[in-house]
Amino acid sequence: MSTFNVGDLGYMVPYLILAIAGMLVVMAEAFFKGSDRSALSGLTVVGALASTVSSIILVRQLGADERHVLLGGMLVADRMSYVLAAVFAATTAATALISPAHQREHGWQNGEYYGVMLLSASGMVMLAHASDLCTVFLGVETMSIGVYVMTGLRRRSKRGNEAALKYFLMGAFATGFLLYGTSNLLRMQSALASTSNPGLVVAGGFLLVIAFGFKVAAVPFHMWAPDAYEGAPSPVTAFMAAAVKAGAVAAMLRLFGTALGGDVLPFGTLGWASPLVVIAALTITFGNIAAVRQENLKRMLAYSSISHGGVLLVGLAALGLGSATADSAIVFYLIAYCVTTIGAFSVIIYVGSAKRERLLVEDWAGLAGRHPAAALAMTVCLLSLGGMPPTGGFFAKFYLFKAATEVYDGQLLWLVVIGVVNSAVSIYYYLRIVTAMYFREANEPFSPTRSTALVLVMGLCAALVLELGLMPGFWLRLVG
Amino acid sequence: MLNDVFFNVGYGHFLVLAGMLFVIGVAGVVVRRNALIMMMSIELMLNAANMTLLTFSRMWGNGSGHAFALIVIAVAAAEAAVGLAIVVAVFRGRRHIDVDRLNTLRS
Repeated sequence: MSTFNVGDLGYMVPYLILAIAGMLVVMAEAFFKGSDRSALSGLTVVGALASTVSSIILVRQLGADERHVLLGGMLVADRMSYVLAAVFAATTAATALISPAHQREHGWQNGEYYGVMLLSASGMVMLAHASDLCTVFLGVETMSIGVYVMTGLRRRSKRGNEAALKYFLMGAFATGFLLYGTSNLLRMQSALASTSNPGLVVAGGFLLVIAFGFKVAAVPFHMWAPDAYEGAPSPVTAFMAAAVKAGAVAAMLRLFGTALGGDVLPFGTLGWASPLVVIAALTITFGNIAAVRQENLKRMLAYSSISHGGVLLVGLAALGLGSATADSAIVFYLIAYCVTTIGAFSVIIYVGSAKRERLLVEDWAGLAGRHPAAALAMTVCLLSLGGMPPTGGFFAKFYLFKAATEVYDGQLLWLVVIGVVNSAVSIYYYLRIVTAMYFREANEPFSPTRSTALVLVMGLCAALVLELGLMPGFWLRLVG
Repeated sequence: MLNDVFFNVGYGHFLVLAGMLFVIGVAGVVVRRNALIMMMSIELMLNAANMTLLTFSRMWGNGSGHAFALIVIAVAAAEAAVGLAIVVAVFRGRRHIDVDRLNTLRS
């Protein structure tokens, strides 16, 4: 047990920047006169980008196998944690860029939104560093409580309220499982392998699987997700779908991949891998089948994100079972998934207006004729979500499934087959939107939300999705 | 046997009590449909976890579990503050907080 060392703070710079910027933005909001909140958004973007840059610098300074234990073992700093921190911070910056246009258009000028978003992002970075069950708990809560607030910020909107209440109740319920599982795992604190009574420990592992099942919206713990995604304002949905899901996966990466992984624990002593693979198979399949029937775009993307969560669970199971490349495959998947999701939602925000949000598939008919650039960006993002070849989504799925086949004895081969079949199915509902945009006539003119920042994010995400697909080598080297 | 169960109170008793509290909490969330009662049941679950933490902390003779329990109490307070605000907002719009009757969002 080491003590506190001031040098540790240097390794926590990405976290500290986000947390301090969050508090500053909350303060600034309180003293800010006037109704235009784009200055707060600017401050948020600057803070989040500073955090991204500092994480990238730290990634480049650390060696591949370098690990620093911080704050007496509560946090750990290695390349993986900074790559994840950069993903979270960059996603936050993108969300802050696309929010002001939506706020102006739909009239919810809450400035505290930005501060809460930064604080929530700081929770995610804490998860990326977590090496103790206590920090996992704190990170999950910091992340989630912020997002409950963001979901319910439109207080007069009945749908927003309902989404927030459902999200909050399910999230808090999951917290209960997380904590009780954590407390039972402390049973094995001293002698991990030789516990004479593993009953409580196994129960603890199962409870953690349930808790994170809620957090990443895995079937059968997913029922809150479509409602929360539909009822929340679109930028918040983007943040939930991209950053929050990535945060939960980062926590699982630390917990199941590193701390509870290995030769004996996953199937033997702890037995968390068996429920996890079943949940992964159910999640991929059910998410896709439900998405096929959706007419509302946000609900469709919610089910699609559930299904993507299932694919990530496959990677996590592979990591726990000792696949050497699974960790970098998961991180690459998270990068591709976050970029694609933010891109898709920025197009949704662009196309919708206060009078018509244009969330149904038929509302998108003929978009390509009127706004070809937006239609092209959406097409690129949807193809990436479906895992079609020239995009980042394809390589992400490819590397992740490849890592899963490397598990000893081919234990996860059946999951890979399920995953590949489901990717083929998923192309059907993504292409429905594409065909509506390109091959059908518009029945009324579009009145998109005009905003330079929004167009910038849209273009940047679409370009990055293609770049991730054409030159994945650079990104893979970055993550390991 | 009887003596062990009723008079020699040891660590096991606390763990069993915590387990019972947890089960009551889960049952409360699953069965009750009033948002406030569900929040109370969730608090019960968190307190079950706290009791387990304290028991193990005592068992291993280190203080980290105590610190963890204090952190849990603080975080639970923050969560309850946000949750109650959401419940109030829902009640203002609809004059009820029955989660089964919240069906504006299509499911």
